[in-house]
Amino acid sequence: MAIVAQTSKYGKTGRTILAWAVGLLFFFPIFWLVLTSFKTDADAVKPEFLFFFTPTLDNYLNMTENYDYWRFAKNSVITSVFATVFGLAIGIPCAYSMAFNPSRSTKDVLMWMLSTKMLPAAAVLYPMTFLTKSLGLFDTHFMVILVLCLINLPIVIWMLFTYFKEIPKEIIEAGQMDGVNTWGEIKEILIPLAWGGIASTALLCFIFCWNEAYWTVRLTTIDASTLSKLIEGNRAPEGLFFGRLSAVSAAAVGPIIVLGWFCQKQLVQGLTFGAVK
Amino acid sequence: MSNRTLPRLLQSPAVLLLLVWMLIPLSMTLYFSFIRYVLNNLRRPEWTTPSLSNWRGFGNYEFVLNSKDFLFAIQNSLFIVCSILFLTVSLGILIAVLINKTFPGQGIVRVLLISPFFVMPAVNAVLWINMILDPVLGLQGIAVGGINEVISGLRDAPLIGWFFSLWPELTPISFRATQTSAYAVIIMVTWQWTPFAILIFMTSLQSEDQQQKEAAILDGASNWSMFRFLTLPHLGRPIAIVVMIQAIFHLSLYAEIEIVSRGNGNKNLPYLIGEFANNNIGAASATGIFAVILANIVAIFLLRMVGKTLME
Repeated sequence: MAIVAQTSKYGKTGRTILAWAVGLLFFFPIFWLVLTSFKTDADAVKPEFLFFFTPTLDNYLNMTENYDYWRFAKNSVITSVFATVFGLAIGIPCAYSMAFNPSRSTKDVLMWMLSTKMLPAAAVLYPMTFLTKSLGLFDTHFMVILVLCLINLPIVIWMLFTYFKEIPKEIIEAGQMDGVNTWGEIKEILIPLAWGGIASTALLCFIFCWNEAYWTVRLTTIDASTLSKLIEGNRAPEGLFFGRLSAVSAAAVGPIIVLGWFCQKQLVQGLTFGAVK
Repeated sequence: MSNRTLPRLLQSPAVLLLLVWMLIPLSMTLYFSFIRYVLNNLRRPEWTTPSLSNWRGFGNYEFVLNSKDFLFAIQNSLFIVCSILFLTVSLGILIAVLINKTFPGQGIVRVLLISPFFVMPAVNAVLWINMILDPVLGLQGIAVGGINEVISGLRDAPLIGWFFSLWPELTPISFRATQTSAYAVIIMVTWQWTPFAILIFMTSLQSEDQQQKEAAILDGASNWSMFRFLTLPHLGRPIAIVVMIQAIFHLSLYAEIEIVSRGNGNKNLPYLIGEFANNNIGAASATGIFAVILANIVAIFLLRMVGKTLME
């Protein structure tokens, strides 16, 4: 360690400054979005008010009036929450049996599940539109929840599987000895033990559902539209509404960024399917 | 229940759902790709409903292969994906190495760096193309205007004025043209996904063998050779994983293209399918099958590369 300490003091200061500069640079667009959201639409495009301006909350207060924000936000919450809950309800038993009663085909099944993620969504765009319309499910919460749940299911199962694998088999087997049935094993032993893993899986699944922007845009018109659709629909404000558009955008991403801060460690394990620890 | 039925039973809902989700729409796409199926056609109303009597064989595939949009869309898809992969991986490695050693505020910098990853794609695109890259009203326009003003002010200055009068007037770049909007998409997606690469490389760097490094320092190894011969090989597996996951996500990139480039010709495969799907379902389906084939080629290639590591 003595050698490491010899690195010059200037080198360390330089590294610190550079690291901070890179961090601030990456965060800048988000900062800019939030800053613009406190400007009036007129001020937002004036060079003289770039950093110094009279802040206003109007853009946030008028979000309902301007964009009907809360309706879309409500849809986002409903669809993301239910998709996550269903994903866990289907995923936990599946990952449980894969982790504790693996068969020869388990690995292949897991790989196959992953491969469903590689199917380009656009390839089935029209059949999906056709099916949902003919089943009367177009623009319904049910359809959005189903789709969000299914596109995230492989990731949910993979994540849960990597967490469950870490639990010693003996603990589960001890439960079996005591005559606990499968449902009891999952409820009494597995869920309390893997609580952290399940929570971070849920969090990540929720974030992915919230940010999804293909099916939520393509399979809805008004009733079940989420925030992605709202923003997409107001893509080109021509500079007229930078202030209010920034406010509604900041309100759409803010909660998720904060949630994301809490699960950045789990993100690595989740997205790399446990291959990088 | 026997030891074997129960696991199957627990897995079956997930497996069945995914099977249905995958097979039904995909087989419909396959079917539509072989028939004439056009949503609005007054002269041939029989083509507006799917039916086997409208069989076209490989006609849709021929039509798609002969349209000049298709080749462009494939080239553009690959150009966008490869540029993003190159930028995110190289930036990711550099930044991960930079912030891996402890320094004051490391935790905060980490949080700042990871934030872009959680921004929803629609907001990402709207924010960049309007508030930042717009040539007149965005930051780019304002910055270029400001620089021009400063330069023109300096032209009148004594002594150094002649130097600045040699400078050209800067013009802001419009990111809404065909080619430049591809760059805009690359910029915004790189901004969003570099944090992901950083996070994974950092996690991996923490498990790097420190003793090996100290030994290398004792042997008088330079920083560069340590990076080249110790750190980079150590990052091999995470790089493969970052490339795989990003390739999966970016081949189906859509929201950014739709928002930045609507109607300006900057297409990728998903966007082209969306365009066809407004009317010519046969062509949209044939393009979809091509997209599936392309994704499979990439997936097989990538899974060969990292499949084994995933299963360890």
